[in-house]
Amino acid sequence: MPLKKLKTDKADALTLEWVLHVKNYRLTLDKNHCVGCQICTLACPKEAIKLEKQPKTDGEKAKKAKVDMDLAKCNFCGICDVLCPYGAMKVTVNGKHALSVVEKESFPQLIRDIQADASKLPRGVECREICPLDLIKVTWQTADGKPVEDIDLLTDEERKGLKVKIDIEKDRCPCCRICEFKCPDGVLQVRKFINGKILIHPEKCPKGCTDCLDVCPIPGALYLSDDAKKVYPNEVFCVYCGACKAVCPVDDALELKRTSITHASLRSGAWNKALERLTSPVEVTKELKAKGSQRARDSVEKRLGWKAM
Amino acid sequence: MVRKERKKREPRKVRIGVFVCQCGSNISSVIDVEDLTTYAKTLPNVVHAENMNYPCSRQGQEEIKDAIKKKNLTRVVVAGCSPRLYEPTFQRCVSQADLNPWLFEMANIREFSSWCHPSTPKEATEKAKETVRMAVAKAKLLEPLQPIELPMTKKVMIIGGGIAGINAALDLADMGYKVYVVEKTESIGGYMALLDKTFPTLDCSICIEGPKMVDVGRHPNIEILSFADILKVEGYVGNFKVKIRKNPRYVIAKNCTGCGECRDACPIEYPNPSDMNMGVRKAISVPFDQAVPLIYTINRDYCIECYKCVDACGAREAINFDQKPEEIEVNVGAIVVSVGYDMYNPEDMENYGYGKYSNVFTALELERLLLAAGPTGGKVIRASDGQKPHSVAFIQCVGSRDVNKYEYCSGFCCMYTLKHAVMLKEKYKDAIQIYVLYTDMRSGFKGYEEFFNRAQKAGINFVRVKLENRRVTEDPETKNLTVYGETEDGKPVEVEADMVVLANAAIPRNTALGLAEMLGIPVGKDGFFKECQPKIRPTDTEIPGIFLAGACGGLKDIPYSVSQGSAAAAQAASVLGRESWAVEPIVARVNEDLCSGCRVCESVCGYHAINVEKMGDKELAKVAEGLCRGCGICSSACPMDAISMPNYTDTQVVAQVRAVLGRGEKS
Repeated sequence: MPLKKLKTDKADALTLEWVLHVKNYRLTLDKNHCVGCQICTLACPKEAIKLEKQPKTDGEKAKKAKVDMDLAKCNFCGICDVLCPYGAMKVTVNGKHALSVVEKESFPQLIRDIQADASKLPRGVECREICPLDLIKVTWQTADGKPVEDIDLLTDEERKGLKVKIDIEKDRCPCCRICEFKCPDGVLQVRKFINGKILIHPEKCPKGCTDCLDVCPIPGALYLSDDAKKVYPNEVFCVYCGACKAVCPVDDALELKRTSITHASLRSGAWNKALERLTSPVEVTKELKAKGSQRARDSVEKRLGWKAM
Repeated sequence: MVRKERKKREPRKVRIGVFVCQCGSNISSVIDVEDLTTYAKTLPNVVHAENMNYPCSRQGQEEIKDAIKKKNLTRVVVAGCSPRLYEPTFQRCVSQADLNPWLFEMANIREFSSWCHPSTPKEATEKAKETVRMAVAKAKLLEPLQPIELPMTKKVMIIGGGIAGINAALDLADMGYKVYVVEKTESIGGYMALLDKTFPTLDCSICIEGPKMVDVGRHPNIEILSFADILKVEGYVGNFKVKIRKNPRYVIAKNCTGCGECRDACPIEYPNPSDMNMGVRKAISVPFDQAVPLIYTINRDYCIECYKCVDACGAREAINFDQKPEEIEVNVGAIVVSVGYDMYNPEDMENYGYGKYSNVFTALELERLLLAAGPTGGKVIRASDGQKPHSVAFIQCVGSRDVNKYEYCSGFCCMYTLKHAVMLKEKYKDAIQIYVLYTDMRSGFKGYEEFFNRAQKAGINFVRVKLENRRVTEDPETKNLTVYGETEDGKPVEVEADMVVLANAAIPRNTALGLAEMLGIPVGKDGFFKECQPKIRPTDTEIPGIFLAGACGGLKDIPYSVSQGSAAAAQAASVLGRESWAVEPIVARVNEDLCSGCRVCESVCGYHAINVEKMGDKELAKVAEGLCRGCGICSSACPMDAISMPNYTDTQVVAQVRAVLGRGEKS
């Protein structure tokens, strides 16, 4: 059987595939989880991922940018999978989730620092809807191990001896910290893995445009001012994914800078290049200095033809 | 190019001797040779004429030499057979009598008269007289010429490092010549390095080729230029200049030890063409373990530049991501072309279902499945479910022997199918049913028919089907296949099988035309390089110094290719062994006073032998004498009458025309 290279576009998933006699490589984009941010597009070492702005219908909200993947360029390395803040990309080999770049330590994993301390959770507290992406599941059990369906129906007596478990789908968590603020003190602690700066210049925004706000996956990361009906960012919740930047119709109205990405400690040229595209050459040089990778720094500086530091 | 000074001053009066050949009864039974001889004596400047039985015999040649000396002849005409046959003999003969060999002329009265007009001897004799008259008219105007001597570069290039090229390279290197082997891919070895077994002996293919590959790699006289492309070929026999691009491997050859630690560190895999894309290789790897030269290559199409390989290589520092393509020029005296063949992709013959049904394979794919070092570790399994097939149907002549596809027979498919069938049957015995659907079984060389018998005795089912009305269908549930066909007399054939293997045609290299263009060698209508003469000069091309070996000149199996490699080596050595190469001095001559540099000659020359170059303040046509074949096309195309062919000048040709028209000499 000859090698088959397939691209399938369905309502809820875009899939690239290499079907070999003995192996099947597959990259799946879960369209329900994808927010149309810029991360995979910038991170892909083969420039195989493109973002397409979607046309806007009058009177309707802006649509998130559409991610398209190039079958001819993709090599199923899985860097998009590693870096997607929302866990929308998945690479599988023979049906199993496989990230050889991580296994071979050629690309670092993100560090999602999410601490959950169930012991600090007040008994019987209402915990629904603390995560905008619905990634947190709190389950209560009675003292004798029975799962509790609805905590509000319990009597005070029944509430004694309740046990609690917090499950978080970390792979899909962009670390916006909303849960940390919504939850009682000290139960959840979240550190962002992408740090940066977002600025909106309202004077440059087209009148009445709220495209960035329309597509922002994190409620509260952008908000509409009461008076002038202009969009402003809230750095506390912004995850710097760039979904807003991807749809902004005006140059310079929205400034988004990523400065660092928290990742496992590893020497990797592929990471340096991804980081350079996601942040800037200056930030990469800073990181390399911190890591003490003189050789890699030299090569970046040589390539750019200027002394970054 | 050395022109020797004329040795002797020409006598003023032209004295022509005519020797009429009887050629046994070939000529004399039709033509009145006595009458012809008497007639010849009457022609202007003829001082001697005689007829003899065989002028080409030793005795005949002695008589000619005697006559030259006794009669002080300055030109010799032999009226006999075709100059194609005996002109060189007579040229040698006259030169032994101190006459310049180009003062000899031949009149062909056998092919032109006696053989074609046997029933009209009178007219045939008249025609022979006219032929002789023309020859004498021309002979009078012949000028003495000296052979052109070209210097000989004692080096040779082999283009294509498959089994034919390997044999040519080793033979020539052992003879002491410096050999360059130019190989397009990362390793020499060709198709043979990809095979599991070879027919009819079932020898392990790489076990018998591997040592030869290693010999090539370490022979002090051989330099392998692998992962390289030929960009340009200039010059001629003894003096070829070949421009080659060495493509970057991003690995420094002299530092790479071939240890493979970089491969182990690399996270990226891509489909391996050596495994027919059924298996994978790493972004830094070798195509197969026995690769020669054993130098790793980074495929930048897939590499993500994580530099894990750089870390793994460590102090050896063999990896260099900044490597650039390198162009080099190599001078050689001779070239052996052995670029092999490609395999036809049968996806466009939809009736076979290849590419559509996952359990339809090509033979080379099956070969890789059988190979222990192949993508499945030697397990023959189906693509649909990974299960071993219980029945396999082989279909022969897929694309070959098909006037709508490739009219020729691919030659080796019958035998490799027998090999595959026997290997499967002898391994799985009664657990497998094998059908071979063939059009004709061609098993025509040593040990092949015996192997066919072995296959028949092994219990393989042979079913003869026509080329027409063949069809493969798939059961969408089980992915099992049914093959439909027809016998010669139109009876339907239906075979059910878990796996179908197609004997797809072998076809000319997709690079063959471009290479032919560069080398100036012709290509036949089937797309394979054309040999000079298919029977008696099978490894020569029309271009002196360029030879063919192996399947690029028409499909051949391994033993045939090996023999051709050695044959081409011997041919090349017979060129390289000379101190210089003598070229027939009938090459275009440019009158620089008349040439306007218009380049018409350049555009009509089929051998790239004439080019307009800047000479001083003028642009003038210049002839590369080593390339010129003396065809005269430039001479007739030149609008300025600036180009002439020695001994085929306008004056000489006009003299012949006037002679045949009975006009006598021009005053």
